[in-house]
Amino acid sequence: MQTTILIISLALMAVVGVTYACAVYANDGPAAGPQANKNRSLLLWGMIVFGVIISVATLRENPHVSAGPAPMVVNISGGQWWWETDIYEIPMGQEVEFRVTTEDVTHGMGIYTPDMTLVAQVQAMPGYTNKLVHTFDAPGTYQILCMELCGIAHHDMINEFDVTEAAQ
Amino acid sequence: MTDATVKIDTAPPENLHANMIKLTMGLGGVVFLLMMIFGLVMRTAQGGIIDLDPAIFYQLLTAHGAGMVGSAALSGAAILWYFVARYVDLNPKVYLIFLGLFLAGVVCILGSIFFGQYGGAWTFLFPLPAISGGAWEAGAAVVFCVGYLLIGVGFLIYYLEMGYKVSKSFKGLFGGLGWKFIINGDTAAAPPPTIIAASSVMVFNSIGIVFGAIVLVANIVNLLIPSFAVDALLAKNATYFFGHVFINATIYMAVTAVYEIIPEYTGKPWKSTRLFAIAWAAVVVFVQAVYFHHLLQDVNMPAWAMATGQVVSYASGVPLIAVTLFSTALYIKGSGMKWDLATKLLVLGVGGWGVGAIPAMIDGMVSVNKLMHNTQWVPGHFHTYLLLGEAAMAFGFAAWLVKDTSRVTQSGLDRFAFLAYVAGGAGFVLMFLWSGASSIPRRWAVHYEAWQLQSQVATVFAAVVILATTLFIFGYVKGLMRRGAKT
Repeated sequence: MQTTILIISLALMAVVGVTYACAVYANDGPAAGPQANKNRSLLLWGMIVFGVIISVATLRENPHVSAGPAPMVVNISGGQWWWETDIYEIPMGQEVEFRVTTEDVTHGMGIYTPDMTLVAQVQAMPGYTNKLVHTFDAPGTYQILCMELCGIAHHDMINEFDVTEAAQ
Repeated sequence: MTDATVKIDTAPPENLHANMIKLTMGLGGVVFLLMMIFGLVMRTAQGGIIDLDPAIFYQLLTAHGAGMVGSAALSGAAILWYFVARYVDLNPKVYLIFLGLFLAGVVCILGSIFFGQYGGAWTFLFPLPAISGGAWEAGAAVVFCVGYLLIGVGFLIYYLEMGYKVSKSFKGLFGGLGWKFIINGDTAAAPPPTIIAASSVMVFNSIGIVFGAIVLVANIVNLLIPSFAVDALLAKNATYFFGHVFINATIYMAVTAVYEIIPEYTGKPWKSTRLFAIAWAAVVVFVQAVYFHHLLQDVNMPAWAMATGQVVSYASGVPLIAVTLFSTALYIKGSGMKWDLATKLLVLGVGGWGVGAIPAMIDGMVSVNKLMHNTQWVPGHFHTYLLLGEAAMAFGFAAWLVKDTSRVTQSGLDRFAFLAYVAGGAGFVLMFLWSGASSIPRRWAVHYEAWQLQSQVATVFAAVVILATTLFIFGYVKGLMRRGAKT
């Protein structure tokens, strides 16, 4: 997913950047004709229409999904500089609702696959329980890393749990 | 592109504020350079090239964030003041008070970091300033917050003077904003682009600073009286509202250099059209409403706030790309404009700003944000529109400010410096974006070995940017010392 995001971003950046560069480097060429204003209107309205479509498509359902009727609840709490969880083995394919809290400052709970790809995250906010629903589709040892600067050992705030195939 | 001969036939009118502005740009340039060096040190440490104490890393991170935002704000404010003074009679004493408060704030911030060991990032996210885990004392965090407050007060005084004078000359603030022009369509009464920009920034940045001041005071009280606490989510809302508005204001102030300088090279005025005024009116709304995109992983925020964050993130890019970027390209194409260091950097600044908005808009989608939030994707997009956007505009303005109008050729050093800045900057931000797509978290003092390659390559690009910036500053100082520099 992240690679797709990178490719789309770089492609769009390249199109916009190269188009802009070509136009400004044509400073000694012919001036833009009357069609240019029409093109600007087209771009403006095109961006608006595209924005409406993509917004409806991606926000029709809340991207922060709620848990179904029988999630596995995993309580995770954070503090300077540790993560504590009440469950260390999660079955693959099981919907999990992480209930994330903090005992001191704001932290960010990021879940990383065994090959260190971020698959989900949520903030840990003082005074709140933040819920994150996720279903793991691959077994292995996952890591919990801190995603929000929380002091001098922020980068050491790590824990892990296993996603197992057995209970599927 | 022709850049062999550059000659401006009509010198701009004398500007009584020029000496103060030159001093400011010099200070801003030196701070930019110093903060870049801090950035290089951090990337070097993340690349495993040097071994840096994490406590020092987080102090450098804090200084780098506060210092870069500060120098962007300072240079943006200097540019805006310089050009607004072309239309209204600004009081130079007010600018000196602003500058004095700003420098006092900088002293507090640097003191709190390097003497008090404060390392809670420029975002001072409540309640981290008060709960340091033993890394710094409450007093250091108080001094840090007081430093911000001094800068904020300076800016409010600055905007008060500007707002008062603009209102007097342009039939009230709505006149200056161009909103009356939008309604009545009377082109003859349209305020100049710089005045529309200034009025817009005055409105949203003053509101942003007030929210920042509120949360800073709350932090200070919490530091002095720990039993006093505020809701962390509410504080985060105020912090990011302030932070987002303030950093964006730096670019919106700096872009006035494009509106004012480029026409001197083309001989065509930069006109205020209705579309231009409407785009700025949209900016006033969007720049304030968009901050929710910083809280997309705070799932206790209401669903409407999440949706607003995503929709307005996208919407913010529409006036930028379809109006500002497109219009700049349209304006320059076929204009016969000659290139020099100033015009190159100013035009780059608009391009970097527009291109950098794209990964930001994409990151503003809730589903993408779940994978990219607080990874290095975030510094990837903001370095694009700050390093290749705001800072490029600031260096372009500085180059123009001390330009030798008697010269007809562009120096090879200027050409080299520009190319190095573009190549180094582009490579540097690409490494951040690649790092973000590789799930590497931001603000980590120590990186796993598998994450170090991007940082190592970024170190090389950072060094190239620093070289280019050093050359810009060298050229600026040389220009200042030259007789006949603009006054």
